[in-house]
Amino acid sequence: MSRRLPRFLHFFISLKKIKETSIKTIFFLTAISSIIIIFSIIYFLFQDGYSIFQTAGLWEFLSGSRWYPTGTPPLYGAFPLIVGTLLVTFGAMVIAIPLSIGSAIFISEIASPKMRAIIKPAIELLAGIPSVVYGFFGLIVLTTWLRIGFNQPSGESWLAGSILLGIMAIPTITSVAEDAISSVPKEYKEGSLALSATRWQTISKVIVPSAFSGITAAIILGMGRAIGETMAVMMVCGNPTYGLIPTPITNVFAPIKTLTATLGIEMGEVATGSDHYHALFGIALLLLVITLIVNIIATVILNRLKEKYTSSSKKRFKLRYETNQKIKRYFFWVMILIIIGVLYVAVGVLITISLLVVAGICYYLNKKISAKNIQRIAFTALFSAIVLVLIFLGIILSYIIFNGAGALNWGFLTEWPSNLGRSGGIFPAIVGTFYLVGGALFIALPLGVGAAIYLNEYTREGRVTKIIRAGADLLNGTPSIVFGLFGFAFLVLYLKMGISLLAGQITLAFMILPTIIRTTEEALKSVPQILREGSLALGATKWQTIKKVVLPPAAPGILTGAILGIGRAAGETAPIMFTAVVVSGFIPSSLFDSVNALPFHLYMLATSVPDSRAQQAGTALVLLLVVIGFYLIAILLRNHYKKTMKW
Amino acid sequence: MINISKETKNKEFKKLLLGLIVIGVICISLFSGCTQKTEGLPIVLVGRDSTSGTREFFFSHVMNSENFSETLQEKNSNGGIYQTISQTPGAIGYVGLGFLNTDVKALKINNISATVANVLAGTYPISRDLYMFTKGEATGAAKEFIEYIQSSNGQAIVEEEGFVPLVDSQPYNSSGKTVTGSLKIGGSTTVFPIAEKAKESFSKIYSDVSITISSTGSGAGITAVGQDTVDIGMSSRDLKSSESSLGLVKYIIAKDGIAIIVNPENTYVDTLTLEQLKAIYKGDISNWNEFI
Repeated sequence: MSRRLPRFLHFFISLKKIKETSIKTIFFLTAISSIIIIFSIIYFLFQDGYSIFQTAGLWEFLSGSRWYPTGTPPLYGAFPLIVGTLLVTFGAMVIAIPLSIGSAIFISEIASPKMRAIIKPAIELLAGIPSVVYGFFGLIVLTTWLRIGFNQPSGESWLAGSILLGIMAIPTITSVAEDAISSVPKEYKEGSLALSATRWQTISKVIVPSAFSGITAAIILGMGRAIGETMAVMMVCGNPTYGLIPTPITNVFAPIKTLTATLGIEMGEVATGSDHYHALFGIALLLLVITLIVNIIATVILNRLKEKYTSSSKKRFKLRYETNQKIKRYFFWVMILIIIGVLYVAVGVLITISLLVVAGICYYLNKKISAKNIQRIAFTALFSAIVLVLIFLGIILSYIIFNGAGALNWGFLTEWPSNLGRSGGIFPAIVGTFYLVGGALFIALPLGVGAAIYLNEYTREGRVTKIIRAGADLLNGTPSIVFGLFGFAFLVLYLKMGISLLAGQITLAFMILPTIIRTTEEALKSVPQILREGSLALGATKWQTIKKVVLPPAAPGILTGAILGIGRAAGETAPIMFTAVVVSGFIPSSLFDSVNALPFHLYMLATSVPDSRAQQAGTALVLLLVVIGFYLIAILLRNHYKKTMKW
Repeated sequence: MINISKETKNKEFKKLLLGLIVIGVICISLFSGCTQKTEGLPIVLVGRDSTSGTREFFFSHVMNSENFSETLQEKNSNGGIYQTISQTPGAIGYVGLGFLNTDVKALKINNISATVANVLAGTYPISRDLYMFTKGEATGAAKEFIEYIQSSNGQAIVEEEGFVPLVDSQPYNSSGKTVTGSLKIGGSTTVFPIAEKAKESFSKIYSDVSITISSTGSGAGITAVGQDTVDIGMSSRDLKSSESSLGLVKYIIAKDGIAIIVNPENTYVDTLTLEQLKAIYKGDISNWNEFI
């Protein structure tokens, strides 16, 4: 520069600099908010939970065989609860894994574009059904079917929980697995087909093995979701007192009590500060640790996968092909032996042998049948998987629509409930729900968008972004009931907000924060780098570039994320159960009043108010319409946005 | 591609069919193995969660503080128990008198049926008082609300909801009183319907008062009033020794009998003795056909 700037301009430049730095700092602060939240969750759970490890002893707490905190002497054995959680999750995975992986393969490899356009949103809708609606369906319909169909004394059982959780895990697993399958390089597929392999051979021998780690991550994420689920499990699993390990352990009709259900049932009634209260926080801590481990494993696998496809420079240690094959073969036989052993213990000699014979026949047939027929069978199986998933969706939706439509009228939507909700409407619950999600969005949107801008615009990929992303991922995997407990300990008690609208809004905001960060980041990433460079080259500052160039085209994407967040928040019960809602119907006049909300109203009607079947179904239908409405808007918006994008 | 003649195709198809049939047969046999007929009608025990006042009362008065059977299923409200009983033929549960309805069958205890009259007469063996607690003497809106429930107007609601009213209550006198502000009430799920109904008519007398009622359970209600998070705590049990330091004042607002309910399809029993009831909840009797 030849000419010196006049002195007074220096001042403006430095002012500008200060502005830029302070903006960056603000974004940084929003970015680390998710880490702060996850650490304060851990801190508050630990603070309220650790004393139980002292009074009861950590080992006794983990291994004690009875959960009876109000007995004399009180017993704090969480072992049956852990076993219950694992059993329900295991059963759910047995149901969800084949169905969702079959669906994922079908959607990405077999379905025609038209079919895909129908099936994909349908499965996403399955994710939109609130867990309390699943629970309601399970309590009224599924448990009765199980009781009559299997001639059991009671349908409230491990199996009922597993079926519901399985259905609930399907969308999570399907969408992540589908991403993994469609990110397999096209060349692999083309190469295989060019070698005259059939489509099924290509799928089973080339595509699925290449997507294997992604599919594993999908399963683990689904598992995390199933472990942390509260409402549905609490409503259908029977919850035996003391927590009960079924005898024999394969008795799927035994009632079971999970970690989450224990929290959901006992938290509302426990005396604050008692040993029982601390024991519940100990349970929450345990739950958090389990889900964190599960989610960390999934994240690590997914990150490795990303590295594998993006950078080939890193060479990992590889076994020789022959050794690899040998190990695989040994592993295979060991697994078979284990399965036979389990079957033998579980169902007896005769069935084990007959199953083995069937497996043998299948294996034999497999060798004999032409590849084309195998393909036919396989495709039929995949197709039936997706049909089954759609049937689940159809049954649940049609039950709620047919039963709820009768109760639905203008009065139901605009009147106040009377006689404990047996008559009258649900107006306060509707208003309460909108207050809650509105406030949650008001808090979460700036934080989430700010964090995404910081991650995407201000930093390069490195340690900082990794830590922040990990924080958001962990927050995403935290069970909703844990948010509820945290909200109760931190907002309601520590900050003395009381059971209030504000406490509920903040709790929900924390919960939807990761969703908003992720979708905003995706939206920002889809804005081409050239635009930013052009803007900066014209002398615009970083903040001007972001404000004028990056954000406008990303706005629809951000909006999609916000709406998804709203949908999720509107359907959640567990986080607001101890922080914001009460039964009574009224509209809050300040942020410190408690509210009623649709999911909670449904939960109370379904579990506490007999003779209100029509009102229950009506509330379920309204809740479903609200939540699915939000999801539908988000999906349509996203599709529209994808189509109209010019670059 | 390899050419396959029609004949081999047919053969393959037959084999395939055979395989599918074998699989089908085995699935069916597995399925039927799971659905073995059971003798009689197994008892499904249903009870309240461990912090409920109803359960504590049941535990001390029926169980004599002996442990429940391990198979006892927990519900966190009276309505939850009712719901399960009405859906499950073999189930037995206990609820407050106010929750009785036609979908369930109330059993006689020692041959005395669970009615308001029998509780008033003192012959029905499982009955208790229902309480409201305030921190220190009740003042303002809380005082008026409790007075209203204790009055004959409030006791009419008590009776309407199926509970047992207090004897000789006076009509409520609202002349010259103005009540404003907000009133927070929380606690027992048993007392909740009384408070909720009383709120509806109380609000008609004093239109400026806003009342919020949450039904969380007796333990939570007492804790909440002790911590000043609510103005009135509802409870279906008296204070425990650990709660005596909270400085709470007790108001008895009604009496309640605990009804033992079974599904209407259960034709095995109509009456139980307290000993039998205890044996059932301890798990010593596990099938209804033991009563034939």
